[in-house]
Amino acid sequence: MIDPDADLVRSAGAGDARAAEALVRRHLPRMVSLARRMLSDAAEAEDVAQEVFLRVWREAPRWKPGAAKFETWMHRVALNLCYDRLRRKREKTDPDAGLFVADTAPLASEAWLTQQRAQRVNAALALLPERQRAAIALVHYQDMTNIAAAEMLDVSVEALESLLARGRRALKAALADVAQDLLGDADGAARF
Amino acid sequence: MDRARFEALLDAYGADLRRWPADERAAAAAFKLQYGPELGAEIDAERRLDEALASVWSADAASDALAARILAARPQPNADDGGFDRRALFALAACAVFGVLLGFGGGSLAPGANDDGVEDYIAMAFDGPLTEFGDEG
Repeated sequence: MIDPDADLVRSAGAGDARAAEALVRRHLPRMVSLARRMLSDAAEAEDVAQEVFLRVWREAPRWKPGAAKFETWMHRVALNLCYDRLRRKREKTDPDAGLFVADTAPLASEAWLTQQRAQRVNAALALLPERQRAAIALVHYQDMTNIAAAEMLDVSVEALESLLARGRRALKAALADVAQDLLGDADGAARF
Repeated sequence: MDRARFEALLDAYGADLRRWPADERAAAAAFKLQYGPELGAEIDAERRLDEALASVWSADAASDALAARILAARPQPNADDGGFDRRALFALAACAVFGVLLGFGGGSLAPGANDDGVEDYIAMAFDGPLTEFGDEG
């Protein structure tokens, strides 16, 4: 297995500043993106991404290419940090937190519709169980292959497919009541 | 590929075949070509969900400030360690020189081997004249 990050990690671990910058350039946006999908919070997502890289700096000097690619390891770390934050949130937030609150502003423009649609979909994603949300984030937003995503979630490919299918079914159900102006259905019926 | 497998993959990965498992993509494409019209409604529903998910996609470009914070948190082993090593080596060398000088200097302060008082000092230390040890043999 060829790890495209192996050389960079080795160099960064040896103190090479350029290699460290290259690692940040290559992976930071993806870490932020994954954390945002998981946490629905931009500031928290940045905190998670920063924490992932603190661990990268700590592990890089002794990193040995092994069974998992470095990117897989990073995604696992990010997901675990997100799970921890979600668990802490669950323990201390009220049950209505995170529920979508419809914007009552009048229909105004295509941009407004796009924004409403995005909010609605984000809210539906946020209500998925963590593992289903992670599976969808990895496959749909991080463009991971099924094998890589399964490895990151530490499950079999069959289990990944089950998580994805359950997640997508839940999303279709959650979005079924969305009006035509949000889903853009030409004949006015939600067709999920 | 049979219909059940195609539907299972459609359920899991959505309508875009590029997300499907690489080793099943060709068979799925052939199946879709042949039976696509029968599965039109199912494929359409999944495509709509794909589009909805894509509508919230964004590059999530990380801020430069975040990247700078992350890089600043990186340990700086080369510069700092080098400086420390030089200081430590200098201190070690200074200690060695001081030790050698102390050895030479200390020798001049100790009583000489032929000094008259030496035997008395030793005798006092062992509570008796040295000659007594010689007699024991």
